[in-house]
Amino acid sequence: MKHLDLPLLDLHQALLAKQVTPLALAEEAIKRAKANKDNAFEIIDEEGAKTFAASLGEPEADNPLWGIPYFSKDNFSTKGLETTASSNILAGYIPVFDATVIAKLKERKAVLLGKTTLDELAMGGTGTTGHKGKTYNPYDSKHEHMIGGSSCGSAAAVAASIVPFALGSDTGDSVRKPASYAGLVGMKPTWGRISRYGLFPFAPSLDHVGYFTRDVYGSAVLLDALAGRDLHDNTSSTKPVDKYEEDLNKPVKGLKVAVLKEIVDSITDRELRAHFDKSVEALKKQGVVVEYVSFSRQLLESCYATYIVISCAEATSNDANLDGIKFGPYRGGKTYQEVMYNARTQGFSELIKRRFVIGSYCLMRENQEELFLRAQRNRAKIVDEVNKILQTYDFIYVPAAPGPAPLFVQASDKLSDEYLIADNHLCLGNFAGLPSITLPLCYERGLPIGVNFMGRAFEEKKLFQISAAFERLSGLAEASALSAKEAKL
Amino acid sequence: MDVLKDAANRLLFDMSVEQYKTLYEEFQILTKQMETIGKIEGLESYEPMTFPFDCSTSFLREDVAEEPLTRDEALRNAGNKQDNQIKLPKVVL
Repeated sequence: MKHLDLPLLDLHQALLAKQVTPLALAEEAIKRAKANKDNAFEIIDEEGAKTFAASLGEPEADNPLWGIPYFSKDNFSTKGLETTASSNILAGYIPVFDATVIAKLKERKAVLLGKTTLDELAMGGTGTTGHKGKTYNPYDSKHEHMIGGSSCGSAAAVAASIVPFALGSDTGDSVRKPASYAGLVGMKPTWGRISRYGLFPFAPSLDHVGYFTRDVYGSAVLLDALAGRDLHDNTSSTKPVDKYEEDLNKPVKGLKVAVLKEIVDSITDRELRAHFDKSVEALKKQGVVVEYVSFSRQLLESCYATYIVISCAEATSNDANLDGIKFGPYRGGKTYQEVMYNARTQGFSELIKRRFVIGSYCLMRENQEELFLRAQRNRAKIVDEVNKILQTYDFIYVPAAPGPAPLFVQASDKLSDEYLIADNHLCLGNFAGLPSITLPLCYERGLPIGVNFMGRAFEEKKLFQISAAFERLSGLAEASALSAKEAKL
Repeated sequence: MDVLKDAANRLLFDMSVEQYKTLYEEFQILTKQMETIGKIEGLESYEPMTFPFDCSTSFLREDVAEEPLTRDEALRNAGNKQDNQIKLPKVVL
């Protein structure tokens, strides 16, 4: 086994014992990234990564991220390193500052290796709409199944054991859904827990920084590093930051879990249902109180339309600065309107344009009440229902997706008139801004499937406690496409 | 369809005929679904939700002197440069 395949804690111990150096780790990771065939990378900063890794000095016993290589989704600002958000409208854009999360990881001496692909401007869920084309799932060497999006490249990089963690962003489910399809731990903390300064905005009322790891320990120590107030982001919380890995081994007896009946009932995949039912029994054996709770089917069916209206409306206004003048390549034109028209027509793909038109239409004065404001009222009602459940229960527990990663031929970013509850419920966590984590449950025909726990606002420590207990039950800590494990549930 | 074309043009981009057709189909679905949402009981009693939580921030930032961008950093994003300056397209005819 190579060092990159070790659990994060063991890798940290190997670095402390000087069995491996940050430079050797970075070189091995870059070698794997270059050999990888999943189209997961926008840019590999070989020179920058090696220089930084070589400069790190003595190992730090109290810093588990010291010398650990990682990739970032390409919608985080990285000073001096081209950042396009996988869109032609930002071709050649070189940021002049680091996003707060990038700066914090640099302070912790984690080694940034480069940037990963995404659905263009993070607006998509298939991993197919970035300017470099499809990103593939490392679990499928035939490249027939998707990995999901929008944080597709980051998920692929961790699932292929290239790096122990990678940054992503999550507006609807863009970390937690790909985590399910890639057998990973995908974390989105409470809205405001991690600064978004330097994250390219999509829909700020729903946007979260998130990340992928291969175990719960890694997820907890990353939140230690990333959480906290940032004066550059007025929406970042002033609440004190916990020591998130402290309770990972604490017994879970007495914790209360609500399983949303309507979501589980909408799962038609029998194998997944059987694995999920087994996991419920296993949690009960640990002394966890698990109960099936009803949630309005009408509200669950309304989630996707509500999400589309709110996110597109916010996006169309946020991305008005991508105009070929302030940002984006100059494409010519006789007037400034013509310059913008040419830049935007050539710079955005079809999906982005469709979403902008939807957003703009919903914001028009004559449509606002029946579209935008109605969606915002419905969001409030949905959040109210979620929070009522969490007054009685510590967590909501559901399958993260309706099954394993779909085939590319089944994937679509077009609006559907089918109500796909099992596919679209993770946005509950974005509507309410609650911490939400996806964990691997099982495999079906060699492809992983995950489950999701959602907790109360700012109770990430408790969320990691139940997650660690679940991980012990599933036996799937540190699984990857390169080092498969047997699922116990 | 004309409304959608007008909306796209106001956003300063254009789309192909095929793309407008897809968009039109999506709109039919979306407006139908939003009509259904409008029938949800008690919806009108909720205030539109703009953010998950209230988060008010009030502070005065310290006046800290910082290094500005270097000339090289400032020029890196310029598409056209001449004599260490950014060359702009002529916009006044």
